[in-house]
Amino acid sequence: MSASYFRITLHRSAIGLPERTRGALAALGLRKRSQTVFHPVEPQFAGMIMKVKELVRVQEVDRPLSPRELREERRPERGFWLEKAVPR
Amino acid sequence: MFGAFRFTNPLSGGLLWKTPWRLSRFQKTRQRRRLRAVDSVVATVDAALAKQGQTLAALDTWKETMPTEDKYTIFDRKEKRYRKGIHSMFLPFTDSDICV
Repeated sequence: MSASYFRITLHRSAIGLPERTRGALAALGLRKRSQTVFHPVEPQFAGMIMKVKELVRVQEVDRPLSPRELREERRPERGFWLEKAVPR
Repeated sequence: MFGAFRFTNPLSGGLLWKTPWRLSRFQKTRQRRRLRAVDSVVATVDAALAKQGQTLAALDTWKETMPTEDKYTIFDRKEKRYRKGIHSMFLPFTDSDICV
């Protein structure tokens, strides 16, 4: 069985939510919106995700990405496209 | 009519501060989108755990209790038959039971 991971991104803020809900986020290591963390697929982490299921987006991935790889994902492609060639 | 003298509800009747009894088309669209997002999170977690052969009590509870059709009402102990329209959630001073 190959190990798989939850890729968890905090999508909605936990401002104004109960202490226990914010505790679940803290336990997952999510501090601010659009922060992404990786946790192994285990009932323990699945339970934490279920606690904050309204706030996060979850994917199942094969391996955790490093911060550098996450940053590379966000980087826009270099250069530009010509939508329509301008007649000269 | 148009301009400053059009007959909108606040202008013809003075102060109008009412919450409509149903969601607008756009509120409903957004609400459906949010509900679908939660559903997809639960489905992802469920599929991932099933692959490992694990179970979770919270997932079983969800499958047992989450309504599939009647998603647009929420539980309220003060309401007749214990369900109230989801639009009440948008009122500023009600405790919304749908909140996590």
